[in-house]
Amino acid sequence: MTHLELVSELRHIVGERGLVSDPDALMTYNADGCVMDTHDPDVVVLPTTTEQVVAVVKLAAREHVPVIARGAGTGLSGGATPMRGGIVLVTSRMDKILEIDTRNNRCRVQPGVINFELTAFLKSRGYHFAADPSSQKACTIGGNIANNSGGPHCIKYGVTGSHVLGVQMVLADGSIFWSGEGIVEQPGYDLTGVTVGAEGTTCVITECWLKILPVPEATRVVMAVFNDIRPAAETVSAVIAGGFLPAALEVMDTLALKAVNDAYQMGIPPGAGAALIIEVDGVDDGLDDLLAEIVQIAKDKGAIEVRPAKTPQEQVNVWAARKNAFGAMGRLAPTYHLVDTVVPRTKLPAIMDDVKRISKEVNLPIANVFHAGDGNLHPIVLFDSTDPDQNARAHKAVEEIMRLSIGYGGVISGEHGVGIEKQEFMSYMFNDDDLGAMAALHEAFDPEDLLNPGKIFPRKVNPNELAATRRQASTVPGGLAAIVAKHGEKVWI
Amino acid sequence: MSDLLIQLGSAVGAEHVTPGADGLSVQGVSPHFVVAPGSVEELSEAMKIAAAARAAVIPWGGGTRQALGTPPVALDRPVVAMRTTRLNQVLDYTPDDMTISVGAGMTLDEIDQAVRPNGQMLPMDVALPGRSTVGGALACAADGPRRLGYGTFRDLFLGTKVVEAGGRISKAGGMTVKNVSGFDLMKLYIGSMGSLAIFTSANFKLLPIPRAAATIACEFDTLESVFAMADALHTSKLLPAACELVSAEGGQGFGLCVATDGLDQAVARHKRDVPGLAQKAGARASHVLEGEEHTSLWRRINDLSQSADLEPDEMVIRVASLPSLLGSALVALQVAAKKHALRLQISARVLNGIAYVRTRGTAWKAFHEVALTTLPEVSIVTLGLGTPEPSVDVWGRPPNGLDVMRRIKAEFDPANILNPGRYLV
Repeated sequence: MTHLELVSELRHIVGERGLVSDPDALMTYNADGCVMDTHDPDVVVLPTTTEQVVAVVKLAAREHVPVIARGAGTGLSGGATPMRGGIVLVTSRMDKILEIDTRNNRCRVQPGVINFELTAFLKSRGYHFAADPSSQKACTIGGNIANNSGGPHCIKYGVTGSHVLGVQMVLADGSIFWSGEGIVEQPGYDLTGVTVGAEGTTCVITECWLKILPVPEATRVVMAVFNDIRPAAETVSAVIAGGFLPAALEVMDTLALKAVNDAYQMGIPPGAGAALIIEVDGVDDGLDDLLAEIVQIAKDKGAIEVRPAKTPQEQVNVWAARKNAFGAMGRLAPTYHLVDTVVPRTKLPAIMDDVKRISKEVNLPIANVFHAGDGNLHPIVLFDSTDPDQNARAHKAVEEIMRLSIGYGGVISGEHGVGIEKQEFMSYMFNDDDLGAMAALHEAFDPEDLLNPGKIFPRKVNPNELAATRRQASTVPGGLAAIVAKHGEKVWI
Repeated sequence: MSDLLIQLGSAVGAEHVTPGADGLSVQGVSPHFVVAPGSVEELSEAMKIAAAARAAVIPWGGGTRQALGTPPVALDRPVVAMRTTRLNQVLDYTPDDMTISVGAGMTLDEIDQAVRPNGQMLPMDVALPGRSTVGGALACAADGPRRLGYGTFRDLFLGTKVVEAGGRISKAGGMTVKNVSGFDLMKLYIGSMGSLAIFTSANFKLLPIPRAAATIACEFDTLESVFAMADALHTSKLLPAACELVSAEGGQGFGLCVATDGLDQAVARHKRDVPGLAQKAGARASHVLEGEEHTSLWRRINDLSQSADLEPDEMVIRVASLPSLLGSALVALQVAAKKHALRLQISARVLNGIAYVRTRGTAWKAFHEVALTTLPEVSIVTLGLGTPEPSVDVWGRPPNGLDVMRRIKAEFDPANILNPGRYLV
């Protein structure tokens, strides 16, 4: 099938308005929020129905063309970049909230629903969806599922994966089924669980059932200001070790504060080294005392000021400032590289010192805005990408931070995913046998490597070949084949 | 067979290989050898030997959930019970990180003893915690009443090391509380019943032991009023840690045990408000239990789902439904039990849509068939039968995506060494 024939058949499926094939327009889809590598897709489709998605995937399977599902393209690891061209399937027109079932704490949505819109919809009904990534004003639920997104409130409520009850999955061959619809225990392998965080390599999601939670009766937010980032990090470690379970513990350092202070009239004293946002929630009874205890820890660690967000509007402002901090970085430098890594929580103060040292060594500013309560760091390396020397130094800083993090027992990504950004780092954590187990899972879903190929596994690793090698090694003489020949297949599977 | 005995002995030490079943049996099938490796490497070697001998390997922790699933299909193969009980060490524990890595052979009680002195807990509440190993509990996706407040293994299981069918050692996840580095194989292994790999270690997120805790035990005459109470709790702003329906022994009435924990004031609030809700829903009485009374009540409730020790005429099933449908499902089961002259005992996590139902009596098979046919929207899994009966459809309605599941099994264990025939895949 020629390119033109493919485009024509896709047009037949999704209609003229659902198709992008103009070469200039295709460039829009050559990357997501990570621009370290770009590839134009061959064609882009924007289906509106599940049936259209199935038809597109079946056509792609028949013609052996990759399919890359894409939500809003806000991902930070290159998860939506079409590394081998193919069809980028954009879910943004599948943006309906289909059903809310408060009796069973669940709602059914299409994958293109924007996280913030779902949050607003649920809030008016007294509910919330726990995952609240900083990009929530733009990012989609489908993307949240694909990346197992986090957000400030994961420390108490868990990441996206804890809030997906089931997905309607379209497999690489175009077959479609629901992996679950709200019953929390079912026999069989957990296909929902392995699809969350798989970055679109197991299936294309056309609908999902999400777990929703009632909005807590009461919420308190305070911001503690420190002279330096280390006491803020120490406060976080002490709060966790002290057995508190806050709803959020978020740190912004001096550079981040500088970026957001003016934009959000935060009135942070000039020269403040760090701010720690502390949120507690639950039933109203006892919350003030709990907060007072946490604030006391902050003061003991050297907080110079503690300011409560007294009204709901003040709370909204504090969170708006925090969540828009990345955007505000544009005030400080033309480009930034946002690093995502997690360390055991006692290692936070040490790695903060390291980041400071690295910043000096590479002579580039590094801001910090992060989910401290989870040990999830986000050092933001600020540089000018048009300067090759700065580029090189920025990359050196990123690599050094990753290496140190893993040395502390950390991991390569907490919530942004591996995509293409971190795929070479996978070998820092996992050997060939570890990757082989992942390849085995991948093989069961996508033996032709058509769904978002070229992601997660290191570039030199072909998951299909790795899975084949494993199979061969596991097929012992007189193994399954011989036994089946003797006794018939039905006995075994 | 004797060659295999010698080889296995060379891998794990002759004293850790027992010829014969050593008292173990899975639904009428007895292993030829019981092997107890003392390290990941020994387990890996033993699995290589077992694979070369095309043995059937039954992973074995505390053995409290071996009644689950169908009997192993071993045909003429040697059957090896691979015990993880010697993998019972704490591997990595920095209390202030609030995470722990443990050997898969540790029991839940042993983990509790390791973390409790630091004011921490792994709030999984599985049945028979003194005998259940964490590897077995993970493999069977065991849950506990406090899943309402703390979730399940799926929410707290951070990383693992496993030995696969051919002896390959692989790990997944890590020791941090957030991690999206590669595929989430922890989710794959949870509930896979040892059909893909054997857990050797598991990493968990821990939680602080709440400062205060109490139970409000409410007594009701009918299931309908219990579920009216559950509805009232669900729409309130209260945040109970557990909400467990327990049918009274002898069949007269029901208890709804509401556990509250956390801050002193929050617990006081629940102690104040829950009895009022109960009264409105028609409770005959409610009592507040604290201290040892509270603790021992939940130890008994946790064990109500056990399927390790069954009478010959006993059956245990797990009913899973949408929470809104659980009440009517249980009423239907009550009616069916009465019709078939079975005694019924229920413990149910009513706000999660999970019930464990035990029956006593000879007509359990007819009851089971009625349950499957009249409740098509509900998942019914048989956890144990006092008298094994191969013809029973223990998994109930087949799950969607069975083809993918079979491909997963074929990739991980193409020679079908691990628990052959026992899982639904």
